[in-house]
Amino acid sequence: MAVAAVSPKSILPLACGFDFIAARCSFSRLAAVLCSRHVAVDRIDPSTITRLFVSESESNPSFVTRNQFLIYRLFSLSGLVPVGAFLVVHLLTNASVLAGPGAFQSRVDLIHSLGPLLVPIEWVFIFLPMLFHATVGFAIIAGGLPNVGSYPYAGNVRYTLQRATGMIVFAFIIWHLIQLHWMGAALGGGQFDPHHASSSAAVALQPAIVGILYAVGIVSAVFHLSNGLWTLGITWGLWTSPAAMRRASWVSIVVGVLLGGVGLGALVGMRNVNVEDAKVIEDRMEGVKRMLEGQPAAGSPAAGVRAAPQPISNPSPAASTTGVSTTGI
Amino acid sequence: MIQIAEKSDAASAGAKESDRIVRVRVLRQDAPGQESYWERHAVPYEPTMNVISILQRIAAMAQSQDGRHVAPVAWDCNCLEEVCGSCTMLVNGRTRMACTALVDKLLEENPEEIELKPMSKFPVVRDLVVDRQRVFRALERVKAWVPVDGSYDHGSGPRISPDEQEEAYPLSTCMSCGCCLEACPQYTKSEVVQRDDESAEDFDKRRKAAFDRGFIGAHAISQAMLFNSHPTGKMIADERLKAITSQGGIQMCGNAQNCVAVCPKHIPLTRSIARAGRAATVWAIKKLFDR
Repeated sequence: MAVAAVSPKSILPLACGFDFIAARCSFSRLAAVLCSRHVAVDRIDPSTITRLFVSESESNPSFVTRNQFLIYRLFSLSGLVPVGAFLVVHLLTNASVLAGPGAFQSRVDLIHSLGPLLVPIEWVFIFLPMLFHATVGFAIIAGGLPNVGSYPYAGNVRYTLQRATGMIVFAFIIWHLIQLHWMGAALGGGQFDPHHASSSAAVALQPAIVGILYAVGIVSAVFHLSNGLWTLGITWGLWTSPAAMRRASWVSIVVGVLLGGVGLGALVGMRNVNVEDAKVIEDRMEGVKRMLEGQPAAGSPAAGVRAAPQPISNPSPAASTTGVSTTGI
Repeated sequence: MIQIAEKSDAASAGAKESDRIVRVRVLRQDAPGQESYWERHAVPYEPTMNVISILQRIAAMAQSQDGRHVAPVAWDCNCLEEVCGSCTMLVNGRTRMACTALVDKLLEENPEEIELKPMSKFPVVRDLVVDRQRVFRALERVKAWVPVDGSYDHGSGPRISPDEQEEAYPLSTCMSCGCCLEACPQYTKSEVVQRDDESAEDFDKRRKAAFDRGFIGAHAISQAMLFNSHPTGKMIADERLKAITSQGGIQMCGNAQNCVAVCPKHIPLTRSIARAGRAATVWAIKKLFDR
């Protein structure tokens, strides 16, 4: 074994990712060979971290190999909770824009009322489970050999689509985060402003190509979740007979169609927001919030004066509907 | 080609059917690890032919379509009634038993030609003969048997109800043909070549280790469920569950469900897999809390 030219620390995540694939795919066998050569250095105690991940000898299985069943089951579970559950909440929240920019803004405010807790919650319950699901998912894709051309059965088509949509959704989420999440600001994105939820999202989603790509992303994510729901039931042994699997597939289809409607409704609703009207509503809500928190409202002369607590004047239904053009809803 | 047609004319007393030629394209390979190549054959049509009888004619002619003298195409077969599982090959691109691949039906699908290829998930020994050691290694891993060996007579085992028999019988018809594995997108080829300086024992060990890293396959999971449902077989149920949840176990299943679609014995393989999934769930939770 050659002494590493690369720092072992920089190689570890790579080795970890490739280890699953290594057992099953000739392409990545090469990667595994590369990884194991690089990691076998004396600078790091081989009995600890390295042994967890690095491709092993036949007599000394790695952590990942020994716990393959557990990892794949956690992968299956993570697709439902928290990743799948997050998708449902996310699409439902966004679809609230159909009830007006005020309705959506109040939900965004609720989420952002978590304050400094929002970032760790996002990472622990959304980003890290997604990254785990994606890492194992890519390893599974790399180890498989789709053959829908030779065996064009419905189940096989769904198998292939599950992998295709997984990769589409992965790329879409990265783009979506760069475009709208504040973390993407450094890359020229981060266009979503939680204080102007509907209007900033409407501006970002306005280009036709963005709308089309979002539709593809949403439909892919919804397919991946609803088909994943069906396979999860088989994986964990919830439905075992062919008849039960057929019934479960109908349930999955209904879930998929409903959730797809919610997701596409949210997209259409967001794109149809009247930006100027929405801004007026959002500024008014922002003013109220600041008053409640005792901060000066933007441009308010009453700086420093603590306002008496008063109920948030949620935008009246009339005000909400003015913010949304009625076409396309 | 014309030559052959004339010959067959003479042989079958000028019957009109004999004018027909069945064109066959075979993917051949002379030895393990060598390049494969296509070879065309023209076989005089006979009524009620199957792919095996086509291969028998090809062997008898020892001549390709362009008249070259060639070695007969090698293939595996035994029972000729779809119970032994030895003649699995890719007929027109799909895995199936050659003995029940009837030429008349194949010509309905594609009148131009019949395409024969060896299974793609197993190492080719020669032409259409493949090495299916891995199929049997997987059965060994899941202990697909009822353990009754001992030094004294254990007496008769528990009775099995007719309902249980009815559930078990379809699973017991598995003939290890490998169709489910060939069609499975999660089952990938594992070919280990013996090194020059390697003993047979070392090679066998290395090959088994390589097999064990890959997916065990639908057949083995189904057999594990068969023997776990048997009153005597279930005495080592935990050992089987341990095997199907180890590396390459049931977790590798991607639910494409091709296995059940191609199974020549119509074994409810996906039901077995889902039941194994359920058993594995319960077993894993028990293991977590009982240790």
